[in-house]
Amino acid sequence: MGDAGTLTAMLLVAVFAPVLSGLATLALPFRAITMRVLVAFAGPAASVVCLGSIISRFGMDEGAVGVPFIPSINCNLDLIADPLSLFFGLLVSGIGCLIVLYARGYFGKDEASLRRFYPTLGFFATAMMGIVLSDSTMGMFLFWELTSVSSFLLIGWDWQNPRAVRLAVQAFVTTGLGGLALLAGVILLGVTTGQWTMSGLIKLAESGALLEFDRGLLIGSFVLLFIGAAAKSAQFPLHFWLPGAMAAPTPVSAYLHSATMVKAGVFLLARLFPILAVLGAWAPTLISFGATTMVYGAYLALRSAELKKIFAYTTVSQLGLLVCAYGLGGFEYSHGGHSEQNLIWPVMQILNHAAYKAPLFIIAGAIMHLAGRKELHQLKGLLKTHPILAVIALLAAYGLAGGPFTLSFTAKEAFLYQIVHAAHENPQLWIVGVLAVFTAMCNVAIFVRMLTTFIAKPTAEGRLEHDAHASSDHALPHDEGHEGGDPDRHHHESGFWGACIWLPAALIVSIQYIGGIAPGWFGRLIQGIETHTLYWEHLAEGSTLAAFGHLVQGEISAALMMSLIAMGGGVALGLSPLFRTPVVDVFNGLFPGVMRSTEWTGFHLFHVLQSGNLRHYVAATLGALLVGVAAVAIYDPAVLEMPEWAPLGHGGHGLRIIAIALAALICLTSLIMPFTSRRVVRVLVMGACGFSVTGMYLIYQAPDLALTQLMFEIISVILFMLVLRLMPEEHKVKYHISKPLRAIFAGAVGLVIGWTVLHGGSIADQAFGERLMAQRNAQGSQVIAVADRHADGHSEAYMGGFESTGDERLGSWFERHSYEGTPETHGRGGGGKNIVNVILVDFRGYDTLGEITVLSIAVIGVLSMLASAPGVSTRRAGDDPEHSIVLAGPQPKLRSCLLQTGMSLLLPLMLMFAGYMFFKGHNEPGGGFIAGLIASVALAVYRMAEGREALRRLLPIKPGTSAALGLLIALVTAVMPLVAGLPLLTSVNTHIPLPGDGEFHFASAMFFDIGVFIVVVGVSVGMINRFEEELE
Amino acid sequence: MTLLLAICAAVVFAVSVYLLLGRELKGVAMGVFLFSHAAHMGILAMSGQPFVKGAGGASPMKEPPIIGLGEHLVDPLPQALILTSIVISFAVTAFLLTLLVTTHRRTGTLEVNALADEDRPAPPSRHQFIATEA
Repeated sequence: MGDAGTLTAMLLVAVFAPVLSGLATLALPFRAITMRVLVAFAGPAASVVCLGSIISRFGMDEGAVGVPFIPSINCNLDLIADPLSLFFGLLVSGIGCLIVLYARGYFGKDEASLRRFYPTLGFFATAMMGIVLSDSTMGMFLFWELTSVSSFLLIGWDWQNPRAVRLAVQAFVTTGLGGLALLAGVILLGVTTGQWTMSGLIKLAESGALLEFDRGLLIGSFVLLFIGAAAKSAQFPLHFWLPGAMAAPTPVSAYLHSATMVKAGVFLLARLFPILAVLGAWAPTLISFGATTMVYGAYLALRSAELKKIFAYTTVSQLGLLVCAYGLGGFEYSHGGHSEQNLIWPVMQILNHAAYKAPLFIIAGAIMHLAGRKELHQLKGLLKTHPILAVIALLAAYGLAGGPFTLSFTAKEAFLYQIVHAAHENPQLWIVGVLAVFTAMCNVAIFVRMLTTFIAKPTAEGRLEHDAHASSDHALPHDEGHEGGDPDRHHHESGFWGACIWLPAALIVSIQYIGGIAPGWFGRLIQGIETHTLYWEHLAEGSTLAAFGHLVQGEISAALMMSLIAMGGGVALGLSPLFRTPVVDVFNGLFPGVMRSTEWTGFHLFHVLQSGNLRHYVAATLGALLVGVAAVAIYDPAVLEMPEWAPLGHGGHGLRIIAIALAALICLTSLIMPFTSRRVVRVLVMGACGFSVTGMYLIYQAPDLALTQLMFEIISVILFMLVLRLMPEEHKVKYHISKPLRAIFAGAVGLVIGWTVLHGGSIADQAFGERLMAQRNAQGSQVIAVADRHADGHSEAYMGGFESTGDERLGSWFERHSYEGTPETHGRGGGGKNIVNVILVDFRGYDTLGEITVLSIAVIGVLSMLASAPGVSTRRAGDDPEHSIVLAGPQPKLRSCLLQTGMSLLLPLMLMFAGYMFFKGHNEPGGGFIAGLIASVALAVYRMAEGREALRRLLPIKPGTSAALGLLIALVTAVMPLVAGLPLLTSVNTHIPLPGDGEFHFASAMFFDIGVFIVVVGVSVGMINRFEEELE
Repeated sequence: MTLLLAICAAVVFAVSVYLLLGRELKGVAMGVFLFSHAAHMGILAMSGQPFVKGAGGASPMKEPPIIGLGEHLVDPLPQALILTSIVISFAVTAFLLTLLVTTHRRTGTLEVNALADEDRPAPPSRHQFIATEA
């Protein structure tokens, strides 16, 4: 395996290991809890190992590899290994490992929950790894939506709680709609630039070619992509879903909604930064939304009481800060002689947030779990009752406050430095500076509040609660998870697995202090993954104190000043009683409000549009047709002109008279129908109309059609007669002509259809005429081809792009290949001279297969509906085969002697004729359909003459069964060629010499035709038989 | 002759639409049945005139689409499509008639307007949308 192969394999393992290990836990038996944890742990751990070895083996900039997935829509599993993706990949998989352990501590021995949790978590981790490692933009979108799905599953974890489900839906719809905007953005960007991979886009941007594309389209795609990122990263005013997502179990909050998934939006902006930051819209958009989110989140965090809520809103705030930082990066300024982008240590900012927010959530879950308290003011004296939790919480909160000797301090300085720098050029950006200071004050105040609460004397209430937990330690059954309505209360155990509830937090928070105390060493460690390291010089000295020294001098002092103001103000704010009463975010009502009004509007629209009256639907559908035609006629009046080629023509002398007579008959018979409501007259007239149409088929040289239509008409008339006898006769004759509006409407629709037919037919004529002329004049195949193409150009324009093969009419293609093959079809032909039949059983055999399936479904519908109709509850015993013989003798009905005598003669003749038509079918008019219909007519009339028992004696199997049998034969014939490695429905032809002169032509398509035959007989006889039974 | 077919298709179509807009379902079923006739004639017209337009007066008929019958065959494709359509419309008609029988047994009426009120959803009320708080 080459290097590229190794890289591909490793990246694929990194992406898919979590979901595979998650699924593997499903295979484990119960009572293997440690094994379960270890297997679940193996997935993200494998990802970490893979990414680590990629870094050690290939370095950071190995580039992209492609694995095709759906190349036709540019959606591939292209993966990329660059600093950004590797950093995010390590973040996701690394924290994923710890969350697996934490879940074990959190859920305790509740194995049923773990069994549900680990596969879902693995699913999420894979989706998230997919986002960060994707090079393909469409592929990234795919994984992006998968994270929304997994997030939905995890927020709605407590699925019996309607509130959790509602919040899950809210999060899913919000991020899902954002995802759609992202998809639109990806497509617009891809179509505009022709690039469907991130690496391609970056190359394009680096070469400067990107800005040569249409600026409006680029800005449009930027806006769409930003909406996607903003929805995912909870930017104002779409931030409401993130605090709501805290209904999830705490491992989920710690993982998805603080450290990883909500960073996907920021990640996307980081990916797009080198591509789209050159756009003028980048900086103002990101800064304004980011800064608003930042300060609004911080304010709400200060006004929240519940621990998870507080941390959720600080997460919103921090996400705003990150977006704002990338926005500020859109400005450029000269530094050391060359132009630099105003972006400082962005990756460290992201890492920093994960390194204090994940521990905070983990500890919040642990506190709720162990102390049973959710709200901050209830946690007085935590330091005494749960010292480990309190210490870790305070260490993490110190990071939140951005105090010195934490990574957070450096990160905040970098951000303030960015603001100061940008504000030197754009003074209005000082507003952002003020907002940032206020945000920092809020964060410090939260830390101060936590500190004062934790070190305060425990109240009686708090102690009581602690004792209660201790005493209930043994009372709780082991496998019981959720107690009451509180998903965070669980049985707790001691030992290593018990410690798992705080251990991951301690590990993660240590990053804060390693980075804070030894920034130089830490800086060198992560330097490789940073893209914009301008601030590096100030940290390289090796300690925060040295950095302080630098910060005090020069322009950075402004940033430091701001930091000091924030700390002082924050301590004062935290100690003061200001902003202590909780408030509810007004935007919480946004989503329910929108949902409610959507439902309300939809319901009303439905009530207006869906009247339930068939006439309204018909009128609306055909009215739309009329409006459409009118619009076309206004747009292009040429469609109203009479076609050039005289439609009546001059040929077919003798036949013309007959044709005119037939047409008159068709029109007359159909026009009688509205004027009578006597059902017998109507059915007979309808039949007459059908028979006249049969004549028309003959004139148009379609013997197959004429035969089929004839039989079909007979069966239909019988069917109609039977059914109408089941219904009451009308009370009196009604002349519906009293509805002139209806008549005018129907006339208009008819006119449109007639006009369309006239044009279509004329175009076909014109094409034929031109081909003929070219043939006669030039007698060169090339010219024919040209004329064909020309003619087809016309017909295509009118027939909605009916596809033709090469330069010819589709019909002529069938004509050439019907009997013998040509090189075009690798020498394979249909082996039949009757082109229509060959089309049905060979060229378009798949259609026919579908068609006989429809027939079978229809007969199933007929038989089952009639069986279930209430009227059948009074079934006669004669329907049961056991009793039928008893009742067969005395028929309750009088039967026509004439019909009986006639049928006894005709039945064998007609069946023989059907057989003849069947075998003749491949080369002459005939075939399975026609033969089937002839046999059906014979059997149906026989059934009418002789009754049910006679038919049953004649046909040993039930008609419904035979329909199924025929379908089976056709299916087997269709599938057989697959066994031999040929395409579906391939026909094999042989000629078997017969004694004497003739030979029997055999095509395997004949078996298919047999299937068709049996289905047709089964269906039509079955239906008629059933209706007659209803009558008897 | 295309003109003849066009007129036939127009008339039959108009009649079928008129019946479809009628007030009772038996007429609707017949309308559907006629509808398929009109559609078939429309497709048939797409194969062009059934005769060859001669250079001087003589215009022989085209031959049915069977190989070996003559030089100019009628376009087989519309015929294959119609053949399929005939069989499908048979299935649809039978199914529709069964529905008619069942409907009549269940509701005792075949009046379209009466049936429309049968399953009509209740008008929406505000009480249905309980305010959801996040």
